[in-house]
Amino acid sequence: MSNPDSASMYASAKKIYPREIDGRFANLSKIATVVLLGLFYAVPWFNWDERQAVLFDLPARKFHILGLTLWPQDFPYLAMLLMIAALTLFFFTALAGRLWCGFACPQTVWTEIFIWMEQWTEGKRSQRMKLDQAPWSWNKLRRKGSKQLLWITFSMWTGFTFVGYFTPIRGLGSEIITLSVGGWTLFWGLFYGFATYGNAGYMREQVCKYMCPYARFQSAMFDKDTLIISYDEERGEPRGGRKRSVDPQEAGLGDCIDCQLCVQVCPTGIDIREGLQYECIACAACIDACDSIMDKMNYPRGLVRYTTEHALHHEGTRVLRPRMFVYATILLFLIAGLTTSMATRTPIILDVIRDRNMLYREMPGNVIENAYTLKVINQSEEPRTFALSVTGIEGISLDGVGDTITVDGGGVLSVPVRARAHRDNAYGIMTIQFNVAAVDDEGVALSEDSRFLGPTP
Amino acid sequence: MISEEYRGTQQWSRDKQAVFTVVWISFLVAALGTMVFFAIFDPVDLTGIFDQDLDIGRDAGYAAGFFFFWVLCAICSGITAYLVRTAPKRKAKRRDQ
Repeated sequence: MSNPDSASMYASAKKIYPREIDGRFANLSKIATVVLLGLFYAVPWFNWDERQAVLFDLPARKFHILGLTLWPQDFPYLAMLLMIAALTLFFFTALAGRLWCGFACPQTVWTEIFIWMEQWTEGKRSQRMKLDQAPWSWNKLRRKGSKQLLWITFSMWTGFTFVGYFTPIRGLGSEIITLSVGGWTLFWGLFYGFATYGNAGYMREQVCKYMCPYARFQSAMFDKDTLIISYDEERGEPRGGRKRSVDPQEAGLGDCIDCQLCVQVCPTGIDIREGLQYECIACAACIDACDSIMDKMNYPRGLVRYTTEHALHHEGTRVLRPRMFVYATILLFLIAGLTTSMATRTPIILDVIRDRNMLYREMPGNVIENAYTLKVINQSEEPRTFALSVTGIEGISLDGVGDTITVDGGGVLSVPVRARAHRDNAYGIMTIQFNVAAVDDEGVALSEDSRFLGPTP
Repeated sequence: MISEEYRGTQQWSRDKQAVFTVVWISFLVAALGTMVFFAIFDPVDLTGIFDQDLDIGRDAGYAAGFFFFWVLCAICSGITAYLVRTAPKRKAKRRDQ
């Protein structure tokens, strides 16, 4: 690198003072911040049938999402949901670049809000820089103190909200007022609050630059048709300052007036004019900055703009390309799979545990007996009565249990049972099925395989 | 030429990068690991394995599991980062001396 700045690669650790900018993308980012964080802070307060609408009840090992209750056995749904989330991310990254990073990542939105609070208390960029250099005074103490007060209060509220997803938040509120919060609840609340404070207040885009794995490998999703934020070198160069009255063409200049505004607004402190860099989180602040200057100069907007590499080189941009079809197809399959399995999900779980202490028992009358424990979980909210049966061997029957069992709503019932079959039919290792069916609804039924052991023939 | 004042060059030292990256990545992986692990195992069932009389609640079980994973992952990626960074450099060409 011939850049004389490269000497600063590790020597300086200067603080970044991003300059505030108004414009289309700044507004979009504000909307995204308000909507996403608004959802985060509001959702735990909604109720659904006398119960918190979204509650990940870890102590009870049940997740409540609106009317749905998920059990540990439903973990595959969560895994599928995570895969869908990842593929959606890939799809949109391939299509439109780092949309996630610029507008939706928690790191970005919380940083945005912390910067707002910084601006309210410490003022604009130049004021902040001056304040940091100034010796301690009453004014500095007041400004810095109120910033910390805002940050800490907001972080605490964030930690409280986070814990509110796992412990009913209304109860938690009254516990805090009466100072009777449980130890672990308090710990995780403070932990999350402190992480928010550190990440959004101090580390900010350094997290993206140094610590985020996605930032490094997202380029694998990029191709020459991916939407990126880029400086139009052809139009901008040679850059240089000029009066508004000067015609750039006569002066032999490009449209870039070298005002540095795009650098000043950049939260990661890069110069977009040097081309696509992995530090760029696509927040689009430089687009707003440059557009405002182009307006002032009466030049057309878009010297820095959303574009693609192909478009920059005057080749057509293709939106429909194999990569998009591959991501979309996998995504559709996953979504279809999840929807079908959720729709056809039976609200019972049956676990069959074979008694390991005994292979089989020979009973009088040439009867072979195997012992099992059935764990029946009723995933519906109301108590339910189920019919139990066993099939798979001719004449096999259940003993030790009535025809029906009743399980409480959301309850688990362990039933020790014995399956019996005639010796003529039961030999070696055989597969049998335990069947459980709700008495009130034939559709709610489930079979689980197990093994039945008999003497070798 | 961009003046240093404008260009807010905040660069972390390599040590700081390594430490924070190790802590952060092991945190993320530990969170994922804890989620998968406790979806399959109930901490209440597990405590009995170590000591019949040990009776810690689920909350403490989850927390213990999470920190166990975090420390484990941090040791793993910490050692990896250390080895990668301190490995002898491949010499591009032999020098006379």
